Amino acid sequence: MKRFSQIGLISLLLAGALGGVGCKHNPKNITALPGSEPPKGGTEFTTTQPFQPTTGVQPTGVDRSSKPITPSNTFRPVENPNGIDRTVDPLAGAGAGATAPVNTDTNRPQPEGDIRAHTTENREMFAGNTVHFDFDKSAVKKGAETTKVIAVAEYMKLHTEAKLEIEGHCDERGTEGYNLALGERRALSVREILLNSGVSADKVTTVSFGEARPVDPGHDESAWMKNRRAEFILLMPDAGTVR
Amino acid sequence: MILSPTSRRRWLLASAAALVHCHLAAQPDPSTINISDKVAGFVPIALSGFTGEVDQTLRFDLEVAGFSLVPPAQARFELNGKNNGQIECTLTDAGKHTLFARAYPGGTPRAQAHALADDVVQAAIPGQKGIAKTKIVFKLDTGHRNDHNDAVSEVCLADYDGANPFQVTQDGTIVRSPAWMPGHRTLFYSSFRLGRACIYSHDLATGARAAVASFNGMNDGAAISPDGTRIAMVLSKGGSPDIWVANVDGSGLRQLTTTREDDSSPCWSPDGRTICFSSRAEGATRLYLVDAAGGAMRPLNTGGIRGATEPDWSPDGKSIAFTQMSGRENFRIYVVPAAGGEAQYISDGEDPTWAPNSRTLAVVRRKGGLRRLSLLDVFTRRVKDSASFSGSCSQPSWAR
Repeated sequence: MKRFSQIGLISLLLAGALGGVGCKHNPKNITALPGSEPPKGGTEFTTTQPFQPTTGVQPTGVDRSSKPITPSNTFRPVENPNGIDRTVDPLAGAGAGATAPVNTDTNRPQPEGDIRAHTTENREMFAGNTVHFDFDKSAVKKGAETTKVIAVAEYMKLHTEAKLEIEGHCDERGTEGYNLALGERRALSVREILLNSGVSADKVTTVSFGEARPVDPGHDESAWMKNRRAEFILLMPDAGTVR
Repeated sequence: MILSPTSRRRWLLASAAALVHCHLAAQPDPSTINISDKVAGFVPIALSGFTGEVDQTLRFDLEVAGFSLVPPAQARFELNGKNNGQIECTLTDAGKHTLFARAYPGGTPRAQAHALADDVVQAAIPGQKGIAKTKIVFKLDTGHRNDHNDAVSEVCLADYDGANPFQVTQDGTIVRSPAWMPGHRTLFYSSFRLGRACIYSHDLATGARAAVASFNGMNDGAAISPDGTRIAMVLSKGGSPDIWVANVDGSGLRQLTTTREDDSSPCWSPDGRTICFSSRAEGATRLYLVDAAGGAMRPLNTGGIRGATEPDWSPDGKSIAFTQMSGRENFRIYVVPAAGGEAQYISDGEDPTWAPNSRTLAVVRRKGGLRRLSLLDVFTRRVKDSASFSGSCSQPSWAR
């Protein structure tokens, strides 16, 4: 009798434990960008020019071979005529595994979380929809600016295969660190409107250029107002042919 | 009698040691100098006998270190010597007592002068270490545009005065936010080499680099903990630019802040326990502290100085330097006690980084559309421009 009750108690505890596991639910990310779980594994590559160490303590053997830096002798054009290979990211998520790298030799890292992977960008499609911002603001202005975003949202809902990258840009004023964050915030507030309009969250990513890509290199308000912007880059999946 | 440089130096040092000690005891210990006290004065020194690059380099180094170059009659120290392949010199105090007499053979004239300058600093300002042999990494805007119309910038490494520059990256795109791994010859930075900003580690000895953070959205602002084991960075994968911490290889990722507004420019306290960063979580841009292990963020009192951004924690842990943005076009460097309090205006400039001596800052100053690096002595407020480059220099990070 005593033994039976013991067994009953154990089975009750066991059931409770299993039930607890089964009831566990994942917290929902509301506006997080996709790819929050990074792929495991990592790759390394080597740059063409290893650093030449110089001796620091005693003034002997200091390397003076390096020439002063000027664009003419240091800048080298990118070999790829398109500048950047946007089809595959061999480094996506590299080194981001929380666990020990056990199976790193079996598979190269899969850029599964990378929205840009295996897509071709189209910068012209939404060139007229570029959103402009007030000075030091990241909120999309009501009226004409919001309407441009809604128009992009309508396209995205009709073309479910399409993905989108939103570039955030700033004018040259402000510190670099600040502008980087401000550009990202601009891109993210545009993204927020898209998501609220029904565009799927796993189709839209963001990038901040800070002040690095002005449309107008001028140093006055007419240039600055053009440069405070968010641009839409349409990403179409590669179908056999790559441009 | 021929003595090797080392034994000769030892002999001279021993004979001068007693004199050094009794003379210098009267001077204030810099470790007790609080920059919120009255600004420390220049140390007057007279130079004679040096020529050319050695002379120029010595003058630059000593002025950055807080000396003023004066005629012998007004000098507290005299550095007398000559340079002809090697430097031979004698440092004396006002009472004509010899503090040291040394030779600096080998290496370049510039390297010899740096070594001498560090020795002068150590002999004349007790407790102060020289910084003339340290290095700085920074972002160089080349002035070129690539096929995507990006303003091409690369990461460069140079002596602390801008000499002997070495271009670390050849990515032909936007490369930014370089940071040293303290105590290691490894850099971290963000590069657009794959079309979007990812954070890479870059071993300067081997040239090997690896992606540390390549999430959708923003991957930027890497800062490595003083023990070299953890990275703080700005990621937007949570929906807004927030501060995240991970192991230096990118594993063990953890979100530290969850503001809906921009968080930027994280930096570490020397004990690795606290991270200081800039945020506009409460509307205005200001500095906050958060435990690196997690917890609530708390504002740092900067004594009413608004628009505080780009903090950097001094290696001695006592102070935080930051940029004040006022009107987005005027940038000023302030230093505030790490515990919070009244912030001291130091100079115009932006994006400060501390030297290992916790006394000198490298800052960015804008001039005629270009940005260049300057060295700023916090005690004397003297500013010296680094060697100029054909492009804009910004985002300095001092090796320490």
